[in-house]
Amino acid sequence: MKLIEDPSLDRFRDECRAWLNDNVPRNARPSEGLELRAYDMAWQRTQFEGGWAGVSWPKAFGGRGLSVLEQLIWHEEYARAGARTSASMFVALSHAGPTLIVQGSEDQKSRHLPAILKGEETWCQGFSEPGAGSDLAALKTRAVIDGDHLVVSGTKIWTSYAQGADYQELLVRTDPDLPRHRGISWVICDMTLPGIEVRPITTMTGYAHFAQIFYDEVRIPMTNLVGQLNGGWGVAMTTLGFERGTGTIAHQIELANTVERLITTAKETYDRATGKSLFADAAVASRLAVLRAEVAALRSLTVASVSRGMREEIPGAEGNIPALYFGELTRRVNGAVIDLLGPGAMARGGSHNLPKAYLESFKWAIGGGTSEIRRNTIGERVLGLPKGPRAI
Amino acid sequence: MIVDLEPTDDQRLIAESVGGMLAASLPVARLREASGNGAQPENALWSSLAELGLFGMGLPEEKGGFGYGLPEEMLAARELGLVLASPSVLAQMAAAHLADDGLRPAIMSGEARCAFASLGFDGTVWLYDGDAASHVVLLGDGAALLPRDAFGNWTAQVPMDETITLANAIAAGDLPARDNVAERISLLIAAATTGIAQAATAMAVDFAGQREQFGQPIGSFQAIKHSCADMAVRAAAADAQVRYCAITFGRTEDDRREIAAARWLATDAAIENAKANIQVHGGMGFTAECDAHLFLKRAHLFSALGSSRREEERRIIADAD
Repeated sequence: MKLIEDPSLDRFRDECRAWLNDNVPRNARPSEGLELRAYDMAWQRTQFEGGWAGVSWPKAFGGRGLSVLEQLIWHEEYARAGARTSASMFVALSHAGPTLIVQGSEDQKSRHLPAILKGEETWCQGFSEPGAGSDLAALKTRAVIDGDHLVVSGTKIWTSYAQGADYQELLVRTDPDLPRHRGISWVICDMTLPGIEVRPITTMTGYAHFAQIFYDEVRIPMTNLVGQLNGGWGVAMTTLGFERGTGTIAHQIELANTVERLITTAKETYDRATGKSLFADAAVASRLAVLRAEVAALRSLTVASVSRGMREEIPGAEGNIPALYFGELTRRVNGAVIDLLGPGAMARGGSHNLPKAYLESFKWAIGGGTSEIRRNTIGERVLGLPKGPRAI
Repeated sequence: MIVDLEPTDDQRLIAESVGGMLAASLPVARLREASGNGAQPENALWSSLAELGLFGMGLPEEKGGFGYGLPEEMLAARELGLVLASPSVLAQMAAAHLADDGLRPAIMSGEARCAFASLGFDGTVWLYDGDAASHVVLLGDGAALLPRDAFGNWTAQVPMDETITLANAIAAGDLPARDNVAERISLLIAAATTGIAQAATAMAVDFAGQREQFGQPIGSFQAIKHSCADMAVRAAAADAQVRYCAITFGRTEDDRREIAAARWLATDAAIENAKANIQVHGGMGFTAECDAHLFLKRAHLFSALGSSRREEERRIIADAD
């Protein structure tokens, strides 16, 4: 436990701040669809040209190769500059890219890594299925080997930013006779192949951010296999970012800003019946104080996680603690916004679309592992409690 | 400002040596016998604790201390919480920061004995485990070190936490305004409170892994497992915040708010985890012979040391007025 005082890191922060100030896009980010994708890709291109693409990726693969501490600074400055997290680039930068760096063939790496960094291709994920959500190993989408191709039939669901995505990291069952974790393969799926149908799903926010995807005998070259045939579970489970927890800094800072905005709003909003601000109501002040304390705790948990990440080769299950805390707190914060502002919070639109942020916040306790699955993981892998019943 | 929250090798060693000594000398089971007797095992240990350097740990060398900082002192305070050590041990550590040059050596050697007292809303002062004390660390918004007899006669009361003694008196005067020393003491209390939350978690997890019902350990059931996970998360949140404050203390303008958050989170974690631990233990958890109730009572006692969650909330939000 110590303060890290390093003038070179201060200079690095100045460098980040200056570049971000000059380059963060000032035009409004579209809400959905291809316009959103184009916006995110253009911003990625800007970062590439400025030398800031793939901050966590090793230099040998075209990334900036920042240390964990430099990543921390970058993400802090990124959020402070008001840059939006690049949702349609997320899978490519934080999932598929790092997986290819560790597990991909030379050809796969040279084909995709530069294109990702330049913002020329976006990726989506093809893991969950209607019958395989939290129980991912129950996935049924089949891939049959036919000569030098895999022929894929089945369906994937909850695929974010599938519309317009160029590639997909796709988990398929290549051997139904092997134990369920072993018959799975990880393949690169070109989303323009014949037999793929993307059916957008409208979320409770009213936007179609994700989709169900149907595969009807889609022929994927065997050369798109990443790792070994039937070794996909291992590839998926070792899909480690190089970020060591720094990637969530921007979300955490955004959440802190939401709480501070809410405090300001509560002070500026008057209750006509009493002539006092909402903030003057002790119950309101108490609730805001608790949220502020919890946002501080989230910041400290994130810092603790990054501190651990500097020393770990492989991120441990402890990462579920800040993730669970973030998911639950995000819902409480956005719920408080809606509660406290009353009738005025019901309208969509405007610069702070409150209903959208509120409705959107539900996803953080579901996507990427529900709060319940995270509690299982904390219970079993952090605390060492016995495993519950599960399929073999 | 960049903060590394992982303990250094040195800090780990300090926590281990303090923790090892406390675990060997003050097992939580000692408290089962303690009803009405006060903290006798701690009292018997006082000179060893002084020799360990606990009572001047965070003081600079020119004041006779070890030259360690708040992070080291915070780690030691957390160890005290883990074994439910009497609040008087922490009061003695706090007193080293409040004492003038004349009194300080006696505090550090343990010759002068300290105990915490809280200033209640109505001007009543509540003294915890103060029977052997010569001095009182009085906590309200500010903090002061006073002779025990400055309050006149103390009237013994029956405490909720029967493992320590409780007495009250009428306040003798006003406390000084809240200053950095009071903030520092509040953070040490938060650290000890976090230790209580961690120990309650460990006790629940241990029991859930052993106790069998329906032919399997109850910890395999999600209702119990998730309760334990939530305990771990609350304890981790408090611990991370306490550690963050220990590093950043005196370096930002947000000390008051950050430490108030630490105190709030630690109190919440200790009380909620103590409740959950009782629940995980079922019928046994409701009995006096199970240690679970000791954590709850001690958590409430620490939550009331010169403060309350309501007051911490006011501090957290104060700059927004």
